[in-house]
Amino acid sequence: MSVHEQFADDLALYALGALAREERLVIERHLQECPDCLQEVTRLQEAASMLPLSVSGSKPPARSRERLMAAIANEPQRTRVRPIRPRSSWLITSGWTAAAAAIIIVFFLLHQREDLRQRIVSLEADVAAQRGQLLEAKDLLETLTSADAEHFTLVGGKTPLPPHGKVIYVRARGTLVFLASNIPTPPPRTTYELWLIPTSGAPVPAGLFKPRPDGTATIVRPPLPPGVEAKTFAITIEPEAGSSAPTSRPILVGIPG
Amino acid sequence: MSTQSNVDPSDTTLVSAICSGDQQAMEQLYSRYSSLVYAVALRVLGDSGAAEDILQDVFMRLWRRPDAFDASRGSLGAWLAVITRNRAIDFLRKRRHEADIADAPEGDEPGTLRGAEWANMADRIRRVLTDMPDTQRSALEMAYFEGLTHVEIAEKTGEPLGTIKTRIRAGLQALRKAFNP
Repeated sequence: MSVHEQFADDLALYALGALAREERLVIERHLQECPDCLQEVTRLQEAASMLPLSVSGSKPPARSRERLMAAIANEPQRTRVRPIRPRSSWLITSGWTAAAAAIIIVFFLLHQREDLRQRIVSLEADVAAQRGQLLEAKDLLETLTSADAEHFTLVGGKTPLPPHGKVIYVRARGTLVFLASNIPTPPPRTTYELWLIPTSGAPVPAGLFKPRPDGTATIVRPPLPPGVEAKTFAITIEPEAGSSAPTSRPILVGIPG
Repeated sequence: MSTQSNVDPSDTTLVSAICSGDQQAMEQLYSRYSSLVYAVALRVLGDSGAAEDILQDVFMRLWRRPDAFDASRGSLGAWLAVITRNRAIDFLRKRRHEADIADAPEGDEPGTLRGAEWANMADRIRRVLTDMPDTQRSALEMAYFEGLTHVEIAEKTGEPLGTIKTRIRAGLQALRKAFNP
């Protein structure tokens, strides 16, 4: 070991705490960079630490013991610090048990979180799909029912076309969309009425309509009871307020397909 | 804690009992080390009343923070002695209104003596000190027990600064060689 000779005296003074502040700071800076001098200081401090043991011959007065024990007795109930002896096996066991329980809980929560995360992802996908379907249906309905819609009928000749209607019906839901074309204007104070002709029982009103100037007409989702089996559909001319049962012969009757 | 055994419990056992709030263990440690603590405090302060205060302070610290003692680093007696010296020097500094007296770091006292060997150390240390030149021993003791800087020792003794430095270094080296030849 090679101690820097220019610091040798000061290392001893430093070990004894006999340097003034500025000198002490200089030594401390040097010790940060010089392991040899640091080792020397450590050894000198070991020697210095023996000095207190050289004193003897003085015993404290008896009252000092009483004073100390009285002070200890008057100390507030302090939190017991951890003894330096090894922990008992019970504490070790309970510690491991708690650790194992914590691990299980963590795994359970992680699994639950992953499950919830997957459900959220699935629900988000469902919502996105439904939103797409809804927009598509809304767009379709708006196209079909818009007053601004232009209708073109493709024909093979110049013969005037007969009235024509199309019904799309979902029995289970009781939903219906009706599209018509070439419908002549009804007589004054009358209207057209669509009828659901069930396989059994009386005809069920399925909505009133008047044709647009171009002869087209639509009925969307008229109020219908679900589950009614339709034999066919028919259109009659009824009073403007509509009828609960047909009052005239049908001008149009449906055929399957 | 049982203290009725024919064999005196070790310092470590008693400190562990203190951790559990055992006042009887505290009394036993006081019986063992109060003379040493008081003597060191008295040596530094030269005032029996102040030494009693330091004695109280050191043992209250042991009662409140027994876990501050690290048995792996040395004996309890040596640890208490260094703590006492530092406390006493601090007291001295306040009394003098001086701020420049260095303090050995508490709780990090290097090389505190280990195990049973410390019990015989006092005699050996006294012999080493007795064998030193008076001026050398005096310089050491003024620095350690009175908390004086080498400049203050030079002023007090009228000796050149370099001489004081050399004496302190030589005295400390002699102590060191006596125990680590």
